[in-house]
Amino acid sequence: MDTMIDDEILVTQFKAGSQKAFDTLMKRYERRIFGYLLRSVRNYEDAEELTLEVFFKAYRALASWQPKAKFSTWLYTIASNLSIDYHRSKARKPEFIFEDEEIIEKRLVATDISSNPEKHLEDKEKGRIIREAVDELSSKQKSVFMLTRYEGLQIKEVAETLGMAEGTVKIHLHRAMKKLQTILQPLWENNEI
Amino acid sequence: MPKCKKFEAQAIDYAYGELDSALVPNFENHLTMCNSCTSKVKDFERVLHLVDAAEGDFIPHPIAPHNLEMRLYRKLAEVPVENPSLLSRFTDYFSRFMFILQQQKVASVCLFIAAVISIAFFVGNPLQNKSEYVANGLDTADAHIEQYRRQDIQRSMEDSLRNKHLRNSDSWDTVSQLNRVKERAQGTDLANIANKHLKNVNSDF
Repeated sequence: MDTMIDDEILVTQFKAGSQKAFDTLMKRYERRIFGYLLRSVRNYEDAEELTLEVFFKAYRALASWQPKAKFSTWLYTIASNLSIDYHRSKARKPEFIFEDEEIIEKRLVATDISSNPEKHLEDKEKGRIIREAVDELSSKQKSVFMLTRYEGLQIKEVAETLGMAEGTVKIHLHRAMKKLQTILQPLWENNEI
Repeated sequence: MPKCKKFEAQAIDYAYGELDSALVPNFENHLTMCNSCTSKVKDFERVLHLVDAAEGDFIPHPIAPHNLEMRLYRKLAEVPVENPSLLSRFTDYFSRFMFILQQQKVASVCLFIAAVISIAFFVGNPLQNKSEYVANGLDTADAHIEQYRRQDIQRSMEDSLRNKHLRNSDSWDTVSQLNRVKERAQGTDLANIANKHLKNVNSDF
């Protein structure tokens, strides 16, 4: 029933010394933060390390944190900053490593590929091409796209998370969409995806 | 197919589900007339469909990192807690103070209203327009002047009548005095009163 308790109340409880309150917050957001970072860095091990870092930073800073925005928005802000630092430190575009996807698949409910393995591989390849197109977006465009599309954040919340104006968020979103269209349209016209 | 740049941003927002609901009917009406925008919306919808499918394959349903809780507490135990500096403590207290101010909005507004009422009560209305104040002052002065003028006419009228009783026989002074009062009281109700007194005085003599 802990989902009924507001994040802010849990934060207050944590500040009052309740370790369990932080565990509840972590359980509540670990999947979302991990999913966001995994899409951002496309590497399972790195996404795990970054998720750990997000909650480590949150734990250390939570005592002095003031709820100017939602707790979840704050977590996404930490995650976004770590993701940007990650891409800077790598100084290269994230690579698709099949091993990572295999690790994910092992951890997920097994997909039934026995019926048509060729089709499965073909779909997997198409998906990889499309995700490469997504990774062609700039870090801000990708963050805006991911946060609005897959994390369910409103434009206003994304603006708070990334520390930019709502208008700027919209501009990044429009550019992301146009760039994706520019990359993907020739591919679907040639039946490559 | 003609280009329709004007609606491109709306086409993206529409496909993305972010278009302001107030703009939707107008844009949908535009779509019925514009093949270019209809095509764009379809393209953007296809982009989203493809990306959603690819990202859905990548993470079919939410997954949690392995043993996060244990790893976090292990890391917390390894890294010593830093003692906060004096500056960070000060900024922390300041941010807390600002936060209380922001949170206690109702109390702040009440305090502000109480302060305004106190100033208005003890000092005067600080919001009153100065030019308006001057205009009110002139009005008051005019009223006072008129009041003094009436009082002066009444006093003169009373004097002339008192003199009549004192002198009794000599009406000339009284009549001339009442005539002067009547002249001064022209345009007011006092002129009628002076006229009435004049008639009475003349009838007495």
